[in-house]
Amino acid sequence: MSSLSEAGLASAEAGSPLMTAAELRRTGRRYRLFQSALFVAVIFAATQVVCIAYGAANSGGFAYLSKSNVTTAFQQVPLVGIATLGVGILMIAGEFDLSIGANAIFTSIVTAQIFNGGTSIWLAALAGLAVGAGIGLLNGILTMTLRIPSFITTLGTLGVWTAATLFVHGSAAETFTPPGAFRALTAGQIGWIPAEALWFIALGIVFWVVLQRTSIGNHMFAAGGNQTAAVASGVNVTKAKLFAFTITGLMAAVSGLLAASRIGSISPGDVTTLPLQAIAAAVIGGVILTGGTGTILGMMIGATLIYWIQDVLLLLAAPGYYLTAFVGALTIVAAWSYAMFRRRMA
Amino acid sequence: MSDLDSSVTDTDEQRGQVPQPETLQQEVLLELRDVRKTYGKNEALKGVSFKAHRGEILALLGDNGAGKSTLVKVMSGVVIPDAESELRWEDKPVKLASRHDAADLGIETIFQDNALVDSMTVARNIFTGRELKNRIGLLRLTEMRQISASIITSITGVKGIDSPDKLVGSLSGGQKQAVAIARAVHFNRTLLILDEPTSALAVRATEALFTYLRTLRERNITSILVTHDLFDAYRVCDRFVVIARGEKVFEATRAETTVDELIEKVSHG
Repeated sequence: MSSLSEAGLASAEAGSPLMTAAELRRTGRRYRLFQSALFVAVIFAATQVVCIAYGAANSGGFAYLSKSNVTTAFQQVPLVGIATLGVGILMIAGEFDLSIGANAIFTSIVTAQIFNGGTSIWLAALAGLAVGAGIGLLNGILTMTLRIPSFITTLGTLGVWTAATLFVHGSAAETFTPPGAFRALTAGQIGWIPAEALWFIALGIVFWVVLQRTSIGNHMFAAGGNQTAAVASGVNVTKAKLFAFTITGLMAAVSGLLAASRIGSISPGDVTTLPLQAIAAAVIGGVILTGGTGTILGMMIGATLIYWIQDVLLLLAAPGYYLTAFVGALTIVAAWSYAMFRRRMA
Repeated sequence: MSDLDSSVTDTDEQRGQVPQPETLQQEVLLELRDVRKTYGKNEALKGVSFKAHRGEILALLGDNGAGKSTLVKVMSGVVIPDAESELRWEDKPVKLASRHDAADLGIETIFQDNALVDSMTVARNIFTGRELKNRIGLLRLTEMRQISASIITSITGVKGIDSPDKLVGSLSGGQKQAVAIARAVHFNRTLLILDEPTSALAVRATEALFTYLRTLRERNITSILVTHDLFDAYRVCDRFVVIARGEKVFEATRAETTVDELIEKVSHG
């Protein structure tokens, strides 16, 4: 059924007039609130209030509000955040990708090698992004064809692409110094806002539209929420999942390319923690591991929260190992809080 | 009805609500003729024939392993029967090679646990796979929610679904089934196959569901209840077909049989 007139006619036959837009807004407001990213947004706002207040009161010893700290945050958050958008929608579709770190390194090195070989940076970047999307698609094809958990498939391809990087390049760092326009687009700044942050926000909007306002987005929710029911409703689950896998691979490549452009070189061991950070950010943002639930805003806030917690610990001169411990603890607490919240709401 | 026994034995009252079999419309909607299905050496169906009339509630009864599930899959287009089998829809031969073929005719099968996606809203569930889109392919979400709200209010007997934005996971088993049925009806399905619809429902929810099915019968929608709960089936169904060991062993209208006879037929074929 694609025609509203047909759908509306059937409703009229059932004898129930359609609600007005105002009535629709009033009804179910609390349900919509519960399904939004409100929970993590409140936690994020609260941490910001505390940090800003503490920073204002201790401007000498706690440089939270300093320009360099804020600018660095806007540069760093998108690198995990963009990967989180991909991993997050894949988790909503009920799958995982542990190979995004290896993908990001492999594709950025491929891009750098093609560019350093004398090809246009635009073509080189396009090739890198295509390889990233292809790696994601391959993960999907393997998972769907072999009918094994994507956790296992991508654990395997993580090893394969890590080895592939060493095979095509070796373990030494590859320099990457793209020319003017490309560099401005990927590592430039508009006012005090870095390009990465603008990409993150723009991609966040695109992802929100795809997830919330298109059929494929609806199908990803259905495929992850209850695959059997989705199939029975006429959803092409394979197509929805392959789309999510491909986009995840593409976002890993985008993240890798932005990082390479900012840093100016790529080292094969750079982003080994990317998959775990992205999955943790998605979980903190309200995506559940079993699929079918999550919001784009939640993922974005989750990625931001992870960075800022680590940033605060660094500013407080905490030992380095505190950082990973805090992120780990935060992930567990977030998952537990959501589970409690959902049980209560149900 | 305060308890199950009274609902079964108090047949006069029930019959007051149910059209007598003799007065039922006899227009045949779906007919199965000599339907067979063999898996290797195992004959799951050995030539089953019966008819489902327009606007009736038909019970498909049988013990575990009798062949009910295979029959449901054949009628749903999930399993293709052996070559000599014949299926007819409105007196014309049809082939059901997929769920889509069944849906195109107007057949919807509603499974007890897997009809809807718990983590999605009622509105999104109703339109999943049949989304309303604008010219550039974006969902017409407001209209989908408006129509879903209308569909919810059309559900007779089942209360408590107050918003199309409610998550399906927060609905009771009976409410979920009612939403799945209402969705099927909304999309012009005329034959509903309900697979064990009451096995996980409380007495009150079962009663609400049956009230709803009776309302749909008045709208000329046919329901096939696939169940091994003979008491429930007897309360709501107009006719009964009993399957045992892959064969039809008994067929009767409600006026022609009793619960005791149905128990006997299901138990001993």
